[in-house]
Amino acid sequence: MEEKPFRASLGSGGSDTSRPDNDIRNLWTRATLSQSKLNVPLPNVCEDSDLEDSSPHSKTRQWRNEKARRDSDGGWDHGEYKGGFKQEELEDHSLLELQLRQESSLGSHLEEGDVDSKTEIEMSSSESSLNILKHTPHRAYWAEQQNRLPLPLMELMENEALEILTKALRSYRSAIGRDHFLTKQLQRSIEGLKRRRSKRLNPLAY
Amino acid sequence: MKLKQGSFLWYLYLDKLYCLLSVRNVKVLVEYFHLLDVHHNNTLNDVLFYHFLHHVTNWKRRQIMIVFNMLDWNAMGEIGFDQFYMLVCILLAQQNHLEEQFIFRHSRPVFELLDLEGELRIGADNFHMYNFLFNIKKQELKELYHDFDVTGDRRLNYKEFKLFTIFTMDKYQERQKAEKENEKKRKKEKKALLKKKTHQVNINTAPKVPIYPNTYKHWLELSS
Repeated sequence: MEEKPFRASLGSGGSDTSRPDNDIRNLWTRATLSQSKLNVPLPNVCEDSDLEDSSPHSKTRQWRNEKARRDSDGGWDHGEYKGGFKQEELEDHSLLELQLRQESSLGSHLEEGDVDSKTEIEMSSSESSLNILKHTPHRAYWAEQQNRLPLPLMELMENEALEILTKALRSYRSAIGRDHFLTKQLQRSIEGLKRRRSKRLNPLAY
Repeated sequence: MKLKQGSFLWYLYLDKLYCLLSVRNVKVLVEYFHLLDVHHNNTLNDVLFYHFLHHVTNWKRRQIMIVFNMLDWNAMGEIGFDQFYMLVCILLAQQNHLEEQFIFRHSRPVFELLDLEGELRIGADNFHMYNFLFNIKKQELKELYHDFDVTGDRRLNYKEFKLFTIFTMDKYQERQKAEKENEKKRKKEKKALLKKKTHQVNINTAPKVPIYPNTYKHWLELSS
């Protein structure tokens, strides 16, 4: 079964509605996946866009659900982003409408069987999908900002905490000994931090 | 006191008007506190507290333990997030030279911190002990007790302390105005100097005698 780029790029929020605990990184991975599908032949693309007849409405539903989830979680600084999200909804609507109009015009060109226009059509379709893809990473970025601390900041905090706790461990060992439960608790925390750091540095190994 | 450059606290900042952290900074600080809270008590004991301050500041052991005893106002041997937040605000106020403003805005909590014995009065010894925290110089301390000890008991109650904070705040604002005016003057002087220099350069490079091509040719013919 051939893969469908528009479903991948537009339907990124769809699965989130059914699985609200889905990791935010899936939005990023779907964005990269959809980018690789730009070379899919146009007839397949047109067919897929026809199937996505309720896409604008599904998108607004997805956004409302995501927003409700964020609000209930007590997001990062959602006062700042409320207006921003509404604007993004409208932009997504207008983008989708543009895309559908372009696809319908592209479909008519294909029927004529013109080779030159075919390459032009492919270029314009890739451009329109790129425009949509520009927004997908931004959505993932803002969603991450709502619920999580930025990764560089987390890295800085964890590295510093690791240094402090390693020095504290030496004091614990000299003061209360290696076998004391407090020393072991501190040791476990340090090991946890080290594991997180190595996971971040070597994601492929995990 | 200087915060270690590149440390986590070094990237935080206080609101200059209220001398408090923003919500975003507090959220980050909470995460940082939980990383250090290895025993999951929502507290830091004296060892963890010492190593934290030793890592991020240039304070000595004696100064760190004074701060710990000051913040451990329940005498539990541990400090919670409220005290940790207070400490971070004091550190950032010192780092950004906002001590006067901080004491003015939070005079009550600072007074309660300095009033170790709970007598609702602060002696000169208390001030001297926490000199390194709020950067109050010896001369200022003498003036403080001379000018503001209205009751004459050589100790300051809260009202006298509040007057002191208002006075230091006024002095601080006057100093800032004077500094701004000095800067403006310096900029004007620089501009004036530059104008003079450019004017002189223009005069030097300009030709002294105008040369007219026709008269020069005529002169050549005559001389030949």
